[in-house]
Amino acid sequence: MPYQAEISRDNPTCFLFVIDQSGSMDEITETGRSKAAFVADVLNKTLYTLVTSCSKSDGVRNYFDIGVLAYGGTAVASGFGGVLSDGIVHPIHAISEHTLRIEERKKKVDDGAGGIIELTTKFPIWFDPKSAGGTPMRAALNKTMETVTDWCDAHAGSYPPTILHVTDGQSTDGAPEEMADGLRKLSTKDGPVLLFNLHVTTNGGAETVFPTSESDLADEYSRMLFRMSSPLPAHLAKFASDKGYTIADGSRGFIFNGDPQCIVDFFEIGTRPKLVADR
Amino acid sequence: MRPKSRLPLAFTIPKADDKHNEDRYHRSAKGVYALSDGASVSFDSASWAAILVRRYAKSPEFTREWLAAATAEFAKLYDRESLPWMKQASFDKGSFASLLGVRVIDGGQLIQVLSIGDSIAVLCDGDRIEATFPISAASEFGRSPQLLCSSPAGNAFLDKLDLDFDLVADWTFRGLAQPALLCMTDALGHWLLSRRDDHPSPISVLRKVRTADAFARFVHAERAAGRMKRDDTTLIALW
Repeated sequence: MPYQAEISRDNPTCFLFVIDQSGSMDEITETGRSKAAFVADVLNKTLYTLVTSCSKSDGVRNYFDIGVLAYGGTAVASGFGGVLSDGIVHPIHAISEHTLRIEERKKKVDDGAGGIIELTTKFPIWFDPKSAGGTPMRAALNKTMETVTDWCDAHAGSYPPTILHVTDGQSTDGAPEEMADGLRKLSTKDGPVLLFNLHVTTNGGAETVFPTSESDLADEYSRMLFRMSSPLPAHLAKFASDKGYTIADGSRGFIFNGDPQCIVDFFEIGTRPKLVADR
Repeated sequence: MRPKSRLPLAFTIPKADDKHNEDRYHRSAKGVYALSDGASVSFDSASWAAILVRRYAKSPEFTREWLAAATAEFAKLYDRESLPWMKQASFDKGSFASLLGVRVIDGGQLIQVLSIGDSIAVLCDGDRIEATFPISAASEFGRSPQLLCSSPAGNAFLDKLDLDFDLVADWTFRGLAQPALLCMTDALGHWLLSRRDDHPSPISVLRKVRTADAFARFVHAERAAGRMKRDDTTLIALW
């Protein structure tokens, strides 16, 4: 049975975010913000959640290795700034320590005595929105394959890497499908690499979430992204179902034109490990 | 009936020799025993587990006020504002732990069991299991049990429960020829319920464990054989 490995400090897993930063990501969505700004916000929140889940009073435990690969124009490079820009994948402890800045946000919480209090919370920022140039998706997935191959070689017994790819446009450097096929064939002893695709668009078309076939998708490009996507493993399918999504045998990790909540859920479901060890 | 003041045996060992044990237990001379399994993937579950068992042993009436006092005590352990962002976020998210408490009243005329989470109590007569609470089959041990949280928002699940009914069981030693009461965290609970029909019975195996060293040898052997999950493991045994 694949995807059974316990995730622990000795056997971490890897989440790799592959983010389209091409010029069209500056288009304004129904939220009133650009696609790039919305994706950067969700990515910051996702990393915040992942780091928090590894943080204890005595420090951050390296349950996860985290990578961000950004592509736009002619560049394919680490999506991190500062010290982290030297590499693609870093242990989560390093991610926690190297932010671009820390902002303060307010949140309301239960005070334990029937009331609500407002707390000021420190919120880290790793990414600011960027958008420029073409969409070198083929080069990006090629770099992803190199990165994931190295990671799998070094972590043969671990839960395999999960790649969350976010894009809004057609590849401008050739067909990416064969790269995605190669990526999904990589594996650890615990199973094949998981590749999930999120197609953000302002062009309209029916929202399609975790479909089982490409027949209802609006265009050849979204159909290709469907084919590039891994089927949801049982534990992620259950988590998606528990969140209210319609899941069937063969549902793939692909969303087309999802609403903002759907995009948030895509990241949450995709980064949901099967087991967190050491309970 | 057994004497009122005899303390039960109690043993605990960590998941690995180099790992911090986040299980805690407490035994009072008044016949109140508690154990708590702290969830490692949370901020400071060992301190939270320690607060829960100490408070339960002192005041075994689990109410919302009781829990509010426990969360308030935990909150005082840290200066939230001075924590770096990742620790503050984890502190806010909360620390999680089970709570299993038992009160042995009148030498066992009445045994009141309280359980939140997946630590279990077992009532035995000789080598036979008479009752278990709150879990009765190995398959019921889930990956995400509901646990008590040091942050009040994490305890919202209790709002849907009748605390005096849904979380408790009343047992008695009356009518049992060789009564015994066991309390254990989930790894041992799963081991026991997986083998409840084995010969020799798992109760007879545990009955032979009388020292901390013997408990460590037993747990290590079962882990090595793949029969017990590698996790912090705690047993309170009133034989």
